[in-house]
Amino acid sequence: MAKKQVKKPKTITKGKETPKQVAKKLENIGHQMVKEIGKGLDPHFKTQLRGRSNVEFDEKRGILTLGDKETTRTFLNIGHAKKFMQTTMIAAKTRDYLNHNKTASIREIYYELKHTVPNSKENTFDGQTESDGVIVDLEHSVDTIREKLNLHANPKGTLYGDITLKDKMHHNDKFNCAKLGRGGWSVMSRLEPEEIEIVKVNAKYVLVIETEAMYERLVEEQFALKNKCILVSTGGQAARGTRRLVHRLHKDEKLPVLVFTDGDPYGWYIYSVIKQGSMALAAHSDYLACPDAKYIGMTLDDVETYELQNVTEKMKDGDIKRAKEMMEYPWFKNKEWQRQLKKALKEKIRIEQQALANKSLEFVAKEYLPRKIKEEDFLP
Amino acid sequence: MDEAIKEIGAEQISKEFKEHSVAEFFKKNKQMLGLYGKVRSLTTIVHEYVTNSLDACEETNILPDIDVKIDELGREYYEVTVKDNGPGLTEETVGKALGKLLAGTKFHRMMQSRGQQGIGSSGCTMLSQMTTGKPIKVITGTGKNVISLELTIDPKRNEPKISNKKDIAKEFRGLAVQAKFKGVLYRDSEQGPLEYLRRTAIANPHAQINFRDPAGQKLKFKRTLNKVPERPKEVKPHPKGVTVDELITLSKYSDSKKVISFLKNDFDRMGQKSIETIKKKVEFDMNKDPKQLTWDEAEQVVTAFKEVDFISPSGDALRPIGQAHVENSLKSIVEPEFLTVLTRKPQVYSGGFPFQVEVAISYGGKAGRTVSGPEGNEKRLEIMRFANRAPLLFDAGNCAITKAVHSIDWKRYDIKDIDRAPVTVLVNFVSVHIPYTSAGKQAIADEDEVIEEIRLALMQSGRKAGNYIAGKRREKEKQLKRELFYKYIPEVVAALNSLTGANKADLKKKLEKMVLEKLRLEEAEDVEELNGKEAKAEKGEEDGKKAGKKAEDNN
Repeated sequence: MAKKQVKKPKTITKGKETPKQVAKKLENIGHQMVKEIGKGLDPHFKTQLRGRSNVEFDEKRGILTLGDKETTRTFLNIGHAKKFMQTTMIAAKTRDYLNHNKTASIREIYYELKHTVPNSKENTFDGQTESDGVIVDLEHSVDTIREKLNLHANPKGTLYGDITLKDKMHHNDKFNCAKLGRGGWSVMSRLEPEEIEIVKVNAKYVLVIETEAMYERLVEEQFALKNKCILVSTGGQAARGTRRLVHRLHKDEKLPVLVFTDGDPYGWYIYSVIKQGSMALAAHSDYLACPDAKYIGMTLDDVETYELQNVTEKMKDGDIKRAKEMMEYPWFKNKEWQRQLKKALKEKIRIEQQALANKSLEFVAKEYLPRKIKEEDFLP
Repeated sequence: MDEAIKEIGAEQISKEFKEHSVAEFFKKNKQMLGLYGKVRSLTTIVHEYVTNSLDACEETNILPDIDVKIDELGREYYEVTVKDNGPGLTEETVGKALGKLLAGTKFHRMMQSRGQQGIGSSGCTMLSQMTTGKPIKVITGTGKNVISLELTIDPKRNEPKISNKKDIAKEFRGLAVQAKFKGVLYRDSEQGPLEYLRRTAIANPHAQINFRDPAGQKLKFKRTLNKVPERPKEVKPHPKGVTVDELITLSKYSDSKKVISFLKNDFDRMGQKSIETIKKKVEFDMNKDPKQLTWDEAEQVVTAFKEVDFISPSGDALRPIGQAHVENSLKSIVEPEFLTVLTRKPQVYSGGFPFQVEVAISYGGKAGRTVSGPEGNEKRLEIMRFANRAPLLFDAGNCAITKAVHSIDWKRYDIKDIDRAPVTVLVNFVSVHIPYTSAGKQAIADEDEVIEEIRLALMQSGRKAGNYIAGKRREKEKQLKRELFYKYIPEVVAALNSLTGANKADLKKKLEKMVLEKLRLEEAEDVEELNGKEAKAEKGEEDGKKAGKKAEDNN
């Protein structure tokens, strides 16, 4: 029944549907449930099983994908009932957004739907994590992406460089991101082509930077203009919008992507999320990941090469645990990364991007990055 | 109060007691007489008066109406008033009944009795005058006349001293005693007079007991049985259960001229063959006057008894309260939500003593002990122990009943945490000879047969209680589930209506119906599972019984 009504067509590419089509998909889920109730059957919806157990690494394509383990949620199940209710609520609300041409942040929809269930002391949603989870479920159920449900996360990340964008949602403003001052452009959380159009790019590659501070350093050193590249800062783990932006620059504009993070397991994981995708959004790797991205630094070899021994820091317990886990991830199972992780576990040190200032403020822009790029001294 | 002892003076009672004054004897034996601990002493006093009242009424086939009042006169200073509607005492007997120590009816009678062989009412008189210097007040009405008097005991002569005797022109039949005591304490605890009366009422459904505590609170334990229970048959004591001092006491009251005839006449199952064996074992002439029996000689006799094979005593004299009567009184006093009562068939312990066990498990209502916890009042397991209907309030830890209750794996009967359950377990141990652990007579010895029999009774009733509790829990779970689903239905219906335009009321009705149907099916499965479990449990118990029977046969 689900197959009949919830179209999982291979013809309509996920992420390319019109709002009307998405609204229709949501309605179909509702119709199917109503039909079931009419027959006295426990209403259900299907979603893909999330979490580690259903995440696979597609070696051929170099991205994380979600396995085909499906899970069925029904109403007449003590463990599912509340989630079932929450899912119908989110489905109805997002369909409203689509019909009324509104978009909302995932925090806003949480607050819009949060209330006390009548005649009880229970909330419809206890915290945003509950509604966030249901949203991801629903993306799977109707086989679309969050942005198509007119939902978005809080924006994070900045963009700087000779690239011209057009904001179709705001008077069709056209702007060059090297001319917005030192702060650059704040990356939106929704970066679908119908909202933000990439008009023109004048760059050879994209440099993704973990910390805002390093990004500011490179802007100040005029690195982007001198080296003809685009700077993107993620501010820690990259937000969905930032990942989508880097993906588009990579896939659509054919720019190589280089990632520059702190030399520690956390930083390396940020790199892997940009390159192969994340476990939480494994289903969306296709339009978020950049499988050809390369890692520029920091590595623990840099410590020796640039004699940074006196500015390293001790790895924390969390770093050690993370490094051990990462060694087991299939997408880290190549000799370069295994060696790097082993080294980290052996030496138990980490090195921050900004430790390069130990040489001089300009060192990173004038020597470190140019030399690495010239020699293609990257990790895969 | 009793005809048989009229002729016997104090000097005859025992050489042991003659040497010191009664007061001294009293002081020396306080512990044995249940007069230690301020709370326990007051409970013992109430017990003595109430027991006498119950006995007096039952002997004359009167349904007992007993009023008990306790007034606080000062610090650790109380006045106890007990009034009954019994036959009353004549002028001649009142002194002996209340003013002469060790003059009672129970000493030389062997029947299933409440008798705790405590201090007796005269002991209360003694205690009252020793602690306050005041006489006790008595009003007695025999139906012919009503008199009031004050009474003390002459401690040197162990004789009553009556003063202020007055005729009262009032209609009254029964006995009212009022006595003051110092060094005692009223507590509303598990071992206090209130709990004693409550349990006495439960075990004596034919009695009505009214109580007014020192704070002026009144409590009424209503009668649930309008028939005085059949008096237990008086049986001669079985030689195996007799102690040295009991033997001496019996010998003092015997009409026999020789020890041989005393043993033959006054003991159960005493045949010529047994006498011959005993003769060979003792080192004195058994033709002597039993009244002249010394402690040492009595000890030889009791030792000899142990080596003789006597026929087991008969179980005819056992008088349990009765299943229906326990049920009624618990319903009236504990008002449980669920109750199961079981009176088992008589068994024997120690190779010959017949006994019988009655068990009741009450759940919910006023069942269980109430204690105040951090979150208000909480219920705890309550174990009501009785020996021949007399409540046992003290020394619970050493008692076979307590041990049996704790040896049961209550989880098997769906009672997850028995100690914190609103449960009252009643066990009445019925026997001509109760195997007490000590002279305090507050705990039953843990003879294997006794423990096993109590256990079997508890398991049998426990299963019934467990079924009820499990059913109740299931019902509650079902209700919670229904509420959970019902709670979410309006939200789901509103969302589906918004998505599809489907009719809200229609969807709601259908979903609610589906929830009920689902819960009904689940319940059916549960019951099926439970039935399977129960069949197993029953089989297990039968097997247990067979094993027990085998063990018995081997004895």
